[in-house]
Amino acid sequence: MERAVSLIGFGQTRFGEWWGKGIKDLMAEATNAALDAAPCTALDIDLIIVGNMLAETLNGQAHLSALASTLLPHRPPALRVESACGSGAFALHTASAMLESGRARTVLVIGVEKMTDASADEAADALMGAADAEKDRPSGITFPGIFGLVAARYMHDYGLQRDELSLVSAVHHRQATENPFAQFRSEISPETISKSPLIADPLRLLDCSPISDGAAACILSTAFQSDLRLVASQIATDALSLADREELTSFAANRDASERAYLEANIRPKDIEVLETHDCFSIAALINLEDLGFAEPGEAISIYRNLYDGIPGTLAVNRSGGLKACGHPVAATGIKQLIDTGKQLRASNSRFGMAHNFGGVCATCAVHVLEHLPS
Amino acid sequence: MKITPAIAARAAARRPRSLQEGTIISLTTLTHPLAAFGNRPRTIALIRLEDGSKSLASLTAPGVIGQTVRPRMRLSHITEDQLRMYDVSYEPLALQRVPEHAPFPGYILALTGPSGVGKSTVSRLLLHACAEYVQNVPILTTRARKPGDEGEYRYVSKEKFSQWLEDGEIVAVTKIPSQDEARWYGYRARDIEAIWKKGKVPLVITETHLLQGLANHYSRRSILSFGLLPPGRSKRTMLSCLLRRLRQRGRETEEQIAARLDVAEQDLQFFQNRKDLFDHLMVNDDLNKVIDFLKKKVPGLSA
Amino acid sequence: MTHSAVVGFGRYMPAFRLKTAQIAEHWRQESGAIAATLGIEEKTVPGRDEDTFTMAFEAARQAIDTAGIRSSQVSAVFVGSESHPYAVKPTSAMLVTALELDPFSHAADLEFACKAGTAAIQIVDAFVRSKQVSFGLAIGSDTAQAKPGDALEYSAAAGAAAIILGPDTTKDALCRIEQTLSFTTDTPDFWRAADEKYPRHAGRFTGEPGYFRHVRAAIEGMLQTARMKAADFDHVVLHMPNAKFPNVIAKEFGFSKEQMKHGFIVPWIGNTYSACSLLGLTEVLQYAKKNDSILMVSYGSGSGADAFIMTMLRNGVLLPPDEREPQYLSYAEYLEHAHIPPRT
Repeated sequence: MERAVSLIGFGQTRFGEWWGKGIKDLMAEATNAALDAAPCTALDIDLIIVGNMLAETLNGQAHLSALASTLLPHRPPALRVESACGSGAFALHTASAMLESGRARTVLVIGVEKMTDASADEAADALMGAADAEKDRPSGITFPGIFGLVAARYMHDYGLQRDELSLVSAVHHRQATENPFAQFRSEISPETISKSPLIADPLRLLDCSPISDGAAACILSTAFQSDLRLVASQIATDALSLADREELTSFAANRDASERAYLEANIRPKDIEVLETHDCFSIAALINLEDLGFAEPGEAISIYRNLYDGIPGTLAVNRSGGLKACGHPVAATGIKQLIDTGKQLRASNSRFGMAHNFGGVCATCAVHVLEHLPS
Repeated sequence: MKITPAIAARAAARRPRSLQEGTIISLTTLTHPLAAFGNRPRTIALIRLEDGSKSLASLTAPGVIGQTVRPRMRLSHITEDQLRMYDVSYEPLALQRVPEHAPFPGYILALTGPSGVGKSTVSRLLLHACAEYVQNVPILTTRARKPGDEGEYRYVSKEKFSQWLEDGEIVAVTKIPSQDEARWYGYRARDIEAIWKKGKVPLVITETHLLQGLANHYSRRSILSFGLLPPGRSKRTMLSCLLRRLRQRGRETEEQIAARLDVAEQDLQFFQNRKDLFDHLMVNDDLNKVIDFLKKKVPGLSA
Repeated sequence: MTHSAVVGFGRYMPAFRLKTAQIAEHWRQESGAIAATLGIEEKTVPGRDEDTFTMAFEAARQAIDTAGIRSSQVSAVFVGSESHPYAVKPTSAMLVTALELDPFSHAADLEFACKAGTAAIQIVDAFVRSKQVSFGLAIGSDTAQAKPGDALEYSAAAGAAAIILGPDTTKDALCRIEQTLSFTTDTPDFWRAADEKYPRHAGRFTGEPGYFRHVRAAIEGMLQTARMKAADFDHVVLHMPNAKFPNVIAKEFGFSKEQMKHGFIVPWIGNTYSACSLLGLTEVLQYAKKNDSILMVSYGSGSGADAFIMTMLRNGVLLPPDEREPQYLSYAEYLEHAHIPPRT
């Protein structure tokens, strides 16, 4: 990092089905919550960056930059960033670059998605924009299908069993019972998950993160400091379609972004005590843990087994509940992950936390590392 | 997404490329496809086509990973404008294909890996430990002997190699272009069969093309195929490990080492692309572990 | 005089089947009686994602393979069907791109009830003989529709057959077309209005004024022109709307069971309309011997009959076997496959 960038404020809406709130309402709610908790005032914001994927397709609204700018009395400069489901973290990365270059000193980063105005079919069709229109769409596949292919191959290669995979969502739901912002706050047993309806064999309904509305906002600054320092912000890309990849069970963009982030922060995987990772589907959580360096290929399930059994000393993964239990308003997720990483670092008084976000089937990936400084 | 006539025309122009047989890499069944694709579950697979490219396409019937498929023209869906979108769907072929080969000839133990990974060291140790059961198959080559060659090659003239090739005596062959002329490498059937006659398992230290040739000739199930990988999680780490080992070996110039690394990169890719050609992938960081593993996995060796 | 010859042939039938006994059972009819009258045991049913184009494609692809030529060498394609996927947008054009035929191809879709496929053969034959093309494709393909409860339901089936014609001097040419003749009148025995889903037919009027009159005239005309007798032919292929009609003609002309044997496919396939006679021909082309003589006569309602005299230039060539298991459907599944709404 070229300068000392701090996370000085954050806020979010609860994620869920907000029939009465439109995109602007969601952005306003998250923004106000962030400003309320920050040492700066609204007038200190000299740039707004909005992360969003689907507003053009599902809400007839491009130009979210202008919309967000009008939330603040002085209409600061604003821009919009898109990287499919990674839009939130890519907005953070853009903010980091603006701060490190000195173009801005205090940046408000908002991630927002309004998905429930459209039908489930329309939303599924729109989400396919994160895949390859020419190579993937004609087959009729959807994202559950794409990750179904990944899961089928993973199970074939490593012998992962159905009841083991169910531990992932079970852990996420149990951990979300402590999170007031989660969409779903009750425990769900692995047996229930194993028996939920098939969506894309072998993935079942409760392996899949839901469709949600929501917004989350962060304020990053070089002018104000806090106990949460951003020490790494790295992005990476991979082929858009699985048909252009050599392997299904490990994602190059995961490995590249995290390797660069560890380098930038000058740390190693074992230094990370808190992790928020992109579990759009349960199988992704396992692959992520392996790619990010926390487990050997085929062995990530042991981390979830330990979390389920409550073994102390296990890495804190998705203590917020992850995408599965918190909900996944696409672009809000990346921002919310950074927020939850910060909260957990403070709560457990740990030093390093990682927020990991990706878009599509990890065709783009962004990794952020927060350092919690002792007060 | 709305499929317009222009999009449909481009899709139709691309379609002939998909008319190849292939193998299922993975498959899934969507219980509820998008509305445009109908009310019934839709099985979709990622398929490796004969030309090495991959395609995401529907299957005409359920299948399994590794199954061969053939292309079929099918109506994929009808757009709101009543345009009929046709696409190639793949039909899984009967799982048991009647083999055209002779009865099962016996096992060949194959060790494949990039330059510098330690194949020769592993094979030397193995041959020493299991001399009564395993014997090395010499690689025929038309290149001249080089300092550092350790007896794994048998040197023949280009004319003799061509003759044997023509007579069908060579069961796997590859050619490495060099500056002046191509160097040929291969295995001779009678070298392998002689070892079988002695009741031993032929051991080949080999590379990707020769391995493929052996699998084609004797059938995949005859090959006990072990891939040897350098330690490292990412390709970069693995390649730097190989670089270190090649330098340590001290047999080649920096230029030659650089060339070997390029090939090594392709080899590493091969392990990922062609998992079907390998029964086991081993990381060579502890020689004893590797030998123990080999002895366990080869029938008759652990005695 | 130049001649064209079959240089390649192919066919495609869906994997699905419906037994006529199932149909009878659904309508509470005596299945035994029906099977006896019609002589049809089961018929082919298209898959939900199959249609005239997809089947024509598969048949043509096989024909190109058996011909051993490059698809770009084919520069004429004519497709006969009663169930072209579009009323306007030709199946033949879609095949040119899908099969990668010569873009400089003559192409058009044909309709003449069940004889559209053989009409295609006559057209391609003329193109080849006049040396306007080297190789041409003639295809008959249909997903025949029948109104539920109508007698046609027992026979209307789905299938496609493709013939590639080239000069009879082509190396390995299989079967030369010696002569062809047609007999045509305006006869309203079977019709479907443009906006109707199912065809209508005139009951017993389809017999003598329809099928028999035209097929008889075509055969008599053909025998006379060629100065041949019924017994001269080794193989006879007649259009098969059911098992009975062709047998009546056979009896009239004295065609033996032996002559009719190979081409008589209707009992286990049903009437594939435009593909019907061509499918019978694909059977003969596999089993006939060098110098065998073939008589093929198709019939299309509306009405007309096409007759062909052909000679095998070498022994027949077996097509690759269809390794798929036939899948038998219930009557309800058949309705869904044939896109028939549950209550018509």
